[in-house]
Amino acid sequence: MKKLEFKGLKFLAFVVLLFIILAIFDFDNISNVINKFAIILYKIIPIFVLVIFVTALINYLLKPKQIMKHFGKDSGIKGVLYSLIGGIVSHGPMYAWYPMLEDMRKHGLRFGLIATFMYARAVKIPLLPFMIALFGLPFTIIVNLYIIAFAIIQGKIIDILITKPPK
Amino acid sequence: MISKEKSQTKKQPTFLNSFKKATIGFVSLLPTILAVVGLVSCFQIYVTPQMLSNLFGHGTALDILDGTFLGAISSGNGAISYVVADGLKTQGVSMYALIAFIMAWTTLSFTHLPAEASVFGVKFTTYRNLLTFLSTMIIAYLSTITLGLFS
Repeated sequence: MKKLEFKGLKFLAFVVLLFIILAIFDFDNISNVINKFAIILYKIIPIFVLVIFVTALINYLLKPKQIMKHFGKDSGIKGVLYSLIGGIVSHGPMYAWYPMLEDMRKHGLRFGLIATFMYARAVKIPLLPFMIALFGLPFTIIVNLYIIAFAIIQGKIIDILITKPPK
Repeated sequence: MISKEKSQTKKQPTFLNSFKKATIGFVSLLPTILAVVGLVSCFQIYVTPQMLSNLFGHGTALDILDGTFLGAISSGNGAISYVVADGLKTQGVSMYALIAFIMAWTTLSFTHLPAEASVFGVKFTTYRNLLTFLSTMIIAYLSTITLGLFS
């Protein structure tokens, strides 16, 4: 069984220190910050549950060899397509998806596909009607088509920049 | 033969084991996630939409750059970026800046950088964010030009 090793403890210590400093020098606003913190956390807890479930499902259904086949070095256009769709349909903040991506990366997920997934998340399906209402249909179509194109381009460039030597 | 089958059965993870593994993986990242949420909360309180709107109107290149920087330092739900951008639009801010702002808001985040680097490495994080920064500015420029062609 995987061992529990906390990551980002120094980063968390830095943020706690920042909160303490704010509490000393800007006491009025610290309660707003803590309130905001609680609201954000409350909103993303269901996403965390979803992420754990999706990660477990991927671990259970896809064996490392299959992950390599769909998202590894030789995954080709299918890998790009899956990453694009995954990025577009994924909800919540990016950091909520880090554990799943990290797990898949350990099984061979290409860095380029992580970049494609991350950039494709800029296409927000639930917000499309809102975007159309505020900025119009042509704006929405053009911007989102460019996002998809650049998600693919970024993935390709990252794959060129980060290539691991064959073992 | 039987022992081979047994060892193959042993290797097959149950869903419960996969779930436990996924939970441990997630819990190990909790300090990072809590730290990011903490930083995001600070930014949402201290960086207000009014502060953002004072910085535009200095030419296409600077507007795109300003929009990208402001989007990157701001954070929150994507819908908020649309509302802020709509407010900026009514104040006469250029389309270049608006698109750069929305794009940077949803694709870049300075507050997430330490977390991304600790999970995926400094090299990947640096390359990806530099590319995202450039992509945001190029998309802002190309989208405005393309929109001009259709209007």
